[in-house]
Amino acid sequence: MKEITMDVLKDAAHRLLFTMSEKEYETLLEEFGILARQMEKIGEIQGLESYEPMTFPFPCENSFLREDVPSAPLNRDEALANAGSKEDGQIKLPKVVG
Amino acid sequence: MSYLDCGIVAIHEALVAKKTTPLELAKEALARAKASQDNAFEKILEKEALEFASTLIEPEADNLLWGIPFVAKDNFSTKGIETTASSNVLNGYVPLFDATVIAKLKAAKCVLIGKSTMDELAMGGTGTTGHKGITYNPYDPTHTRMIGGSSCGSAAAVASGIVPFALGSDTGDSVRKPASFGGLVGMKPTWGRVSRYGLFPFAPSLDHVGFFTRSVEDSAILLNALSGRDDMDFTSSFKPVEDYTGDLKAPLKGKKIAVLKEIVDSISDEHLLGLFASSVEKMKQEGAVVEKISFGMDLLQSVYATYIVISCAEATSNDANLDGIKFGPFYGGKTYQEVMFNARTKGFSELIKRRFVIGSFALMRENQEDLFLRAQRNRAKIVERVNQILSDYDFIFVPAAPSIASRLDGASDKLSNEYLIADNHLALGNFAGLPSLTLPLGMENGLPLGINFMGRAFAEKELYGVAKRFEEITGLEGLSTVNEKEGNL
Amino acid sequence: MNFEAIIGLEIHVQMKTKSKMFSSSPNSFSREPNTEVTPFDMAYPGTMPRVNKQAVINAIRVANALHMTIDHTLYFDRKNYFYSDLPKGFQITQQRRPIGSNGYVDILDKDGNVKRIRIERIHMEEDTCKQLHLSDCSLLDYNRAGTPLVEIVSLPDIRSGTEAMHYVEAIRNIVVYSLTSDGKMEEGSLRCDVNVSLRPFGQEAFGTKVEIKNLNSIKNIEQALDYEIARQSACLLTGTPVQQETRRFDEASGKTVLMRVKTDAVDYKYFCEPNIAPIALSDEFVQNAIDTCPELYDAKKARYLKAGLSDTDASIILSDLSMALYFEKALAGAKSAKTVANFLIVEVNSYLNKNGIGIASFPMEAETLKDICNLQEDGFTHKQAMQVFSYVLEHGGSAEEARKALKLEKQSNDEGAVLSFVTQVLDANPQSIADFKAGKDRAIGFLVGQVMKLSKGKVNPAAVSKTLQEEIKKR
Repeated sequence: MKEITMDVLKDAAHRLLFTMSEKEYETLLEEFGILARQMEKIGEIQGLESYEPMTFPFPCENSFLREDVPSAPLNRDEALANAGSKEDGQIKLPKVVG
Repeated sequence: MSYLDCGIVAIHEALVAKKTTPLELAKEALARAKASQDNAFEKILEKEALEFASTLIEPEADNLLWGIPFVAKDNFSTKGIETTASSNVLNGYVPLFDATVIAKLKAAKCVLIGKSTMDELAMGGTGTTGHKGITYNPYDPTHTRMIGGSSCGSAAAVASGIVPFALGSDTGDSVRKPASFGGLVGMKPTWGRVSRYGLFPFAPSLDHVGFFTRSVEDSAILLNALSGRDDMDFTSSFKPVEDYTGDLKAPLKGKKIAVLKEIVDSISDEHLLGLFASSVEKMKQEGAVVEKISFGMDLLQSVYATYIVISCAEATSNDANLDGIKFGPFYGGKTYQEVMFNARTKGFSELIKRRFVIGSFALMRENQEDLFLRAQRNRAKIVERVNQILSDYDFIFVPAAPSIASRLDGASDKLSNEYLIADNHLALGNFAGLPSLTLPLGMENGLPLGINFMGRAFAEKELYGVAKRFEEITGLEGLSTVNEKEGNL
Repeated sequence: MNFEAIIGLEIHVQMKTKSKMFSSSPNSFSREPNTEVTPFDMAYPGTMPRVNKQAVINAIRVANALHMTIDHTLYFDRKNYFYSDLPKGFQITQQRRPIGSNGYVDILDKDGNVKRIRIERIHMEEDTCKQLHLSDCSLLDYNRAGTPLVEIVSLPDIRSGTEAMHYVEAIRNIVVYSLTSDGKMEEGSLRCDVNVSLRPFGQEAFGTKVEIKNLNSIKNIEQALDYEIARQSACLLTGTPVQQETRRFDEASGKTVLMRVKTDAVDYKYFCEPNIAPIALSDEFVQNAIDTCPELYDAKKARYLKAGLSDTDASIILSDLSMALYFEKALAGAKSAKTVANFLIVEVNSYLNKNGIGIASFPMEAETLKDICNLQEDGFTHKQAMQVFSYVLEHGGSAEEARKALKLEKQSNDEGAVLSFVTQVLDANPQSIADFKAGKDRAIGFLVGQVMKLSKGKVNPAAVSKTLQEEIKKR
């Protein structure tokens, strides 16, 4: 695991497209310390590797697939009703480069 | 006593007998909502509720929910009604569709009278982190104790007698913990039993739709209305639904009940322990086999870290859609990154950001094995243990929380170094996706105490059976601040 | 020094299903922005993915055509990254369990030898929204958001631009003929990212990899690779290290140009999509998807060759799916596949070109074309058949109606009839016989004309000419 430092946390926050106050980074650093220790302890318990990582709480496999039948789309004004920046029936952003 | 303070069946009978009307009930619920001092509402839907209630004229004798007012947590998508999940990042967002559970209740002619407050994006357990501030516990007029979260407003609304039932969501204990603090029946059915379509996700592998009622019977009526396969939710179960009110008279005799030793042993509240012990005795007297068993201390201590890693990891991904582009406040920016950066920096509270960083860090390639996958492996191990116990016992029975509601001045959503196993064990039900129900055990200094039963997957009917009998033992059916004060119990 | 090019391709294919990959939005490639959108496509909170059955069937068919192992349980994963065109902040894909793995396709190398290209994986995923970049802003159109994609990833077995081109052609033929996709590179329904590196022959370790994007025709692939291989060779020969970078192909100059230098690989923080419970595909479902797969390119070609078409003709017809389907309709009841093919390739194509339309808009029923071709097989001349063809195109109606309107009669091959006309004409034209014998070949033409005139065009000119030559010698 990557070593956790203020810089690592700031970088992680920036990659998530937000920033926090300095104080929060400190709290976060403290929280990470606690979490990392607890996760480490969990890792020390014998035999954990023999468990498959679990996503679904119990076997819930089924064979359902959606039939390929289109439904009525949203009307365009409705679809864009919640967007804060739009023009000519499209959402408008500063020019995207790269 | 108002009809609003009765159980659903009694209200229904009054409606069918035309002793009251949906409009009258809605008006009273709205009046109570407006008078409430608990900060339980994001939005009180006076106009919409009165409009809809006035269309309900001819009672439907075969529909128990006809005309019943209710409240929904503000993370259920409601068409045409602003829904924010108590986060500034969603201020002004007006959904284009109804969540499946909302649609079902609408179809049953229930009257939505408000959207309730919650911890921001459902990521908290104190009822203090939503953008409207603290939601209070109706049992504590001094406002020093929490109602708990994240479904704080829904719990407060039912506990204070505003509505007979409310929708909540439960990812770790977000229905069942506030149910304990608010003296309510809080139900989280099996994962997949109730459609999550339209529930704003926190962590889909742990998320459940849940609900608060004032009685076990009302809870079963609600599950009848909400459960069932939904093609809009690809995790929704195909298992046939049952009549969940059908087993409410089941005897306790022969039922095998496991009490988790470590949880009970970690609790210091003597009054709680006393009430708990005597309830165990009473169940035994009725022929139940109640045994204290050890779950495994290491495993119980690992629950919280495991929960945090998995839930935060999933959350950081689910909430990546909150970028101010398609919905939510738009603050502009020179580049698209800046647009997103502004929306997210201004939109999320600091707690949420910390959780996202934790989750994102856990998913990074170089950390994933040590954090996310390890947590998922540990989840599998914990679930194996839960299911092992439930292969020998019908139910797991524990205090829902180590005490009455905690003081707000000590409330923190910071990660703690202490292992608060009796505060975190309800997440076992989310890990394993099992039906889990909290109901009142008794009172301490005027505040409720709750217990929790957890059963096997899809055994909701059996769970309601044992809970109903337990409710009869405690005599706390219908508990609310109104009914308590008026002595209606 | 000589270098060996190591080339691998990632191909994204847009599926032409009726609805999107995970939502029931129409997927008809509307040009009117934001008119094919449901709440899921714009990542409205609480929406959930719902897997499209036809997309799964298509993926199975393509996987089978590529000889892949098909996973009978579907899992999906989230690929997490932020970008303006990605509404959810993640793309649902199949990272850990692709629906198909370990396959191959056989292509021809530049010497015409069969070469096997191994294919690592094929998986399903969803497309992003479309961005329209204007001078001062970008506009987002969510119609494309959620369009089903299959991604096909080859192993680095390709060694030249020509091979890469043949590989893409082979993949395109499969996705087009399985009716999975339009497969049009020009329109973006088939998109290639090419990875290419060089190493000295005999060296095992790979060189630095360069990615090329923006290849919007099959021809461009070969051109871009030829250029890029030459560019990298030049770098290596002059001791300039090849940078790890992404380049795009500039069609105007025929060169690849730098887009961006690659820094560390993006961390997509993949994890299993928790909103889609694992989907078990029964053996029966998978087999049925394979069994009902429309006939693929190679099978059609083999069938056409067997029916008597030349390799070139078969390839021309198969270069366009609609043309092939039209051809097959016309083939039903046709007396000669070759005649139908000739008509299609020459006459029909010339009509289409002249009118600037595709075969889909060709006004003649395939069955009518068949009837016209059969007229020719039944003894009418090609010229007569062409008259019918033109008449039908102009007036509509059936071949028979056209023939009657044109008063065309079949010319006779009957030897007795021909001989009788020939004898009459020879008897009447001794001078022409003399001319012929004196070496004036043209006289034959005159005599044939006389016979045709006498017979009112009812005898076959070829048979007349033959009989004339025989009879004239006897005199």
